[in-house]
Amino acid sequence: MSRPNSLLYLDGVSVSFDGFKALNDLSMVIGPGEMRAIIGPNGAGKTTMMDVITGKTKPDTGEVYFNGVVDLTGEDEASIAELGIGRKFQKPTVFESHTIWDNLELALKGPRGPFATLFHRLSAEEEARINELLKVIRLGEKAHELAENLSHGQKQWLEIGMLLAQDPKLLLVDEPAAGMTDAETAETAELLKDIAKTHAVVVVEHDMTFIRALGVKVTCLAEGSVLAEGSLDYVSANERVVEVYLGR
Amino acid sequence: MGREFWAGDGFLAILCTGPRNEGGVNVESRWFMSFFKSFLVLICLTFGFASVAAAQEDIESLRPLVNALAKGKFKETEKQIGALAATGNSAVAPALEALGDGDLYARKSDGVVFIAKKAGKGYALTDPLTLEDAGEVGRRAVSKIKVNNGLRRVIRSALGSLTLQSADPEVRKTAAEAIFKAKDPDGIEALDGALAKETDDGVRLVMEQARAAAVLASDMSLEVKTAAIEVLETMGNRDALSVIVGVQNASEGELKQVADDAVRRIKKNLAMWDNAQNIWYGLSLGSVLLLAAIGLAITFGVMGVINMAHGEMVMIGAYVTFVVQEIIRSSAPWLFEYSLLIALPLAFIVSGSIGIAIERGIIRWLYGRPLETLLATWGLSLMLQQAVRSIFGPTNQEVGNPDWMSGAFELGQLTITYNRMWIIVFSLLVFAGLMLVLKKTPFGLFTRAVTQNRRMAASMGIRTPWIDAFTFGLGSGIAGIAGVALSQIDNVSPNLGQGYIIDSFMVVVFGGVGNLWGTLVGAMTLGVVNKFLEPYAGAVLGKIFVLVFIILFIQKRPRGLFALKGRAVES
Amino acid sequence: MMTSFLFRTLDAKAGVFIAILLAVIVAVPCFNLLVPETSSFHLPTYAVTLMGKYMTYALLALSVDLVWGFCGILSLGHGAFFALGGYAMGMYLMRQIGTRGVYGDPILPDFMVFLNWKELPWYWYGFDMFWFAAIMVMLVPGVLAFVFGWFAFRSRVTGVYLSIITQALTYALLLAFFRNDMGFGGNNGLTDFKDILGFDVQADTTRAGLFATSGLAVLICFLICRAITKSKLGKVLVAVRDAESRTRFLGYRVEHYKLFVWTISAMMAGIAGALYVPQVGIINPGEFAPANSIETVIWVAVGGRGTLVGAVIGAILVNFAKTWFTAALPDLWLFALGGLFVAVTLFLPKGIIGIAGDLMKKRKSTPSKETNDTSGPSATKTPDPEPAE
Repeated sequence: MSRPNSLLYLDGVSVSFDGFKALNDLSMVIGPGEMRAIIGPNGAGKTTMMDVITGKTKPDTGEVYFNGVVDLTGEDEASIAELGIGRKFQKPTVFESHTIWDNLELALKGPRGPFATLFHRLSAEEEARINELLKVIRLGEKAHELAENLSHGQKQWLEIGMLLAQDPKLLLVDEPAAGMTDAETAETAELLKDIAKTHAVVVVEHDMTFIRALGVKVTCLAEGSVLAEGSLDYVSANERVVEVYLGR
Repeated sequence: MGREFWAGDGFLAILCTGPRNEGGVNVESRWFMSFFKSFLVLICLTFGFASVAAAQEDIESLRPLVNALAKGKFKETEKQIGALAATGNSAVAPALEALGDGDLYARKSDGVVFIAKKAGKGYALTDPLTLEDAGEVGRRAVSKIKVNNGLRRVIRSALGSLTLQSADPEVRKTAAEAIFKAKDPDGIEALDGALAKETDDGVRLVMEQARAAAVLASDMSLEVKTAAIEVLETMGNRDALSVIVGVQNASEGELKQVADDAVRRIKKNLAMWDNAQNIWYGLSLGSVLLLAAIGLAITFGVMGVINMAHGEMVMIGAYVTFVVQEIIRSSAPWLFEYSLLIALPLAFIVSGSIGIAIERGIIRWLYGRPLETLLATWGLSLMLQQAVRSIFGPTNQEVGNPDWMSGAFELGQLTITYNRMWIIVFSLLVFAGLMLVLKKTPFGLFTRAVTQNRRMAASMGIRTPWIDAFTFGLGSGIAGIAGVALSQIDNVSPNLGQGYIIDSFMVVVFGGVGNLWGTLVGAMTLGVVNKFLEPYAGAVLGKIFVLVFIILFIQKRPRGLFALKGRAVES
Repeated sequence: MMTSFLFRTLDAKAGVFIAILLAVIVAVPCFNLLVPETSSFHLPTYAVTLMGKYMTYALLALSVDLVWGFCGILSLGHGAFFALGGYAMGMYLMRQIGTRGVYGDPILPDFMVFLNWKELPWYWYGFDMFWFAAIMVMLVPGVLAFVFGWFAFRSRVTGVYLSIITQALTYALLLAFFRNDMGFGGNNGLTDFKDILGFDVQADTTRAGLFATSGLAVLICFLICRAITKSKLGKVLVAVRDAESRTRFLGYRVEHYKLFVWTISAMMAGIAGALYVPQVGIINPGEFAPANSIETVIWVAVGGRGTLVGAVIGAILVNFAKTWFTAALPDLWLFALGGLFVAVTLFLPKGIIGIAGDLMKKRKSTPSKETNDTSGPSATKTPDPEPAE
């Protein structure tokens, strides 16, 4: 796929920390509306890749383009988020001392400047949208409880809900099923598939059942670059993937 | 040596403290300038004592020569002076000196010569060779030995050659230096005579310089003076500069040109030495900062604990030194020279134990909450200060310097004081020792393991709570050692620590947290920058500039000079 | 719009606080001025001044709480903004002295005559006018905070690093104001004030007026802080405090939020300083001492970080204790203050207001056992420490 009609375009991206190459000439393209699963052993550079895309880490070399035209390497986290890239962290990160409602309200798409928020009053549409999201993530009754009182899985869902509230074009989801029961994992997979109907999604996961349930194109990273790319069956048949990641 | 000092034995105490005063030669320069002759005599007296005592016989053999001064006319006297000078025995100097001053008298009854001073109606006599009191006589019992200006000049050169050709190189050197100060053209002849016989290169150099200074004050030819300026130029210090500037102001034409050039070159040279001096002062300040900050580099840099009571650990170390010295003074004065060596381990133990107690009692409850740690340890620092104030009082306590910490020596144009030098050496030793402990011992390995991955270290069987406690104790103990050193150059008061806490944090943050080398470089850089700013901006403004610089620097590089990079830092 | 912005978030608890504050503002001057001195209900003037001083401290605590309690910025340099506001007011008061100074110079303050200065430095112009000084009281700390914050927040200096450089900031200013060349009276500072807006600063009525003004300033700033913290902006601030980088990934420019609240807070501290100076009658470089700024933080911690009422209560309580201790047991005061730092951080992380809140909750929940059970585990849980950024 060429750059102009891609949604996310990484070419030759390298990042090193004190000589350690976290990303090594990584190239990857995500199309509009595509859902992609990323697998790979620890230290393969999955999280660093997300850091590069969301502006937390600047690449040493390489190009990162969003929508084919916007150079992400020159933008900071806030403006990348405003462009329409949302991110869920590996460790669920929600605002613990806010209620679930407030968490969603903060994430809701809208003006982000200090003066806009200072005089902001919740409109009826926004209220309706929050209620809708609460239903999606199944936290309706807990709307006015503090987020710190949620269970691990609920926090994961709240974070996904916040992502949806942002209404991004691209969602980066880091290990959404970590620490979940099998039932919860299956539900999460369904939720993500739902989301993927209207958004492009990149999912990083270790749980192979989860990946299989998603049933999408898989990219395997190792030592900071792409090892194999294709359907799950194709990738898991790859000798090198088996060697470095899946094990025999 | 120190034992006698504190035993209060006056004479030895003076000898012991002697070297300390030599740094202040310049203070005495005016005194030298006006009366170099008298000074020469003084030297003869001081250094002559030994020879007087040892060679009583010789002195008696000189007496006929001295007595001969009273005979004949000026012509004969001049010959006798020559004969006395030819003995090369400095014991005759007082007699010659008295002769020049018109204080030498001959007893009419037997022609024996005495130094005489008016006393009441008569004269008090002094033996010119042994300098013993010889009683009083009436006014008419003695007659003055007359001198004229011609004789006085002869006496002066005789005196000069007596000391300039003394057997003791120290005497020769001091005599030459005195001529340099006085810039007396009359000394040239004596110097020429002495130079011809001089064997010691050091003394020869001083003599040549003295001769050059004397030449420039004389009315000798241009070539000779040019050569003299060259000699002084190689000398290169402020004394030489002042002599040449004198020439520059007094002369015209070619000589002025030569002097101008020389002044310019010397000034350039001196500017270089000034820079060297600044660097030295900067390193000295840097070593103090290093000492204060290095313990913090462990507690803050390695453990991530903000210890605002760190300065108080330094203060406690200084008070330990004070207590050790008090005990030594009252019960074992001979140990005074070793008081600092005794205080070092004690300070380490005292401050270290307090540190461990703080860690166990307070800080361990606050891990992961750095801002709370900051507040709690600040409260602790207030309590420690007040405790020390209650026990020892709010005033400064006197901590003495042992002899090996006192005095100074010269290196080129630099004056290097021993206490500053030892503190630099000491700070580097502490730094190296700490490095060794952290890199080469099992304890260091455990510490690094715990700070890098606490959970992993714990699961490998390392008792992480104890490692935390001892690491904190180590940082505090080093602060205590720093207090011992700082007690030598700073006022020991309950507020001692507060003066260092902000500076220490600046050093650690500037150098880069978690990196001991960064602390070393940070401390030395800040020290040197501070001292270079001081001449232009003044001490206070210089400090403000440094603070503002660091504030801006942290914004540019939030993790300091030597920042750690990577994921471990990010998360 | 402004009034609705200020008052729309008021609830019953805030209402009680405001009512009490208003009552005190009215009652104290009345007991001082209207009750005859012979009556046992008479409040001596020194007490009015003392309470006025507490009010300015409460205002300073509010400003610290706004940045620390709600945005997680621990400032160890708010004393600098306080002192700058105080100096701006002090300069006005110096110019009001006129020919009544020791040297009787109509323009130059005494210390400048003493230093043999011939004319007024440029930065002293305009301070003979109250309105100008009043603007400077807010503008000078505000601009300094803006410039400092713009650099610091943009380059993401956070946590203890920020605390340490704020401390360095106030330390640098301390050293600078000690210099005579700065033109602010050096070591002695500014003092010997005569009158303010034409009223004698020593007069009982002026004192009462200053107290009431300070009280009203606390009230107004309380309302402003409350409006800010209850708005969506306030929620963003708390989000920044709890998970800064998460807030960034949601698209908020964290540095702009911090800069906004930091500058507002500095201006409030400046106002506090300006009200403090005419009541104590002196401003000197000692106000810049880092220890003062840290002490302010502990007032907030005692009252309850993140609760505006707590900041006010903490400031008044600790300072009342300080007044009592330094008179009765001067040697013990530093022990008490130091112990307070330790005890509050170890045992009272939520402060007095937090404890009161917990007690109220317990009393409410004891009759109905079920609600207590469901929220049991989470009530004792301490919030996860934020990962060091």
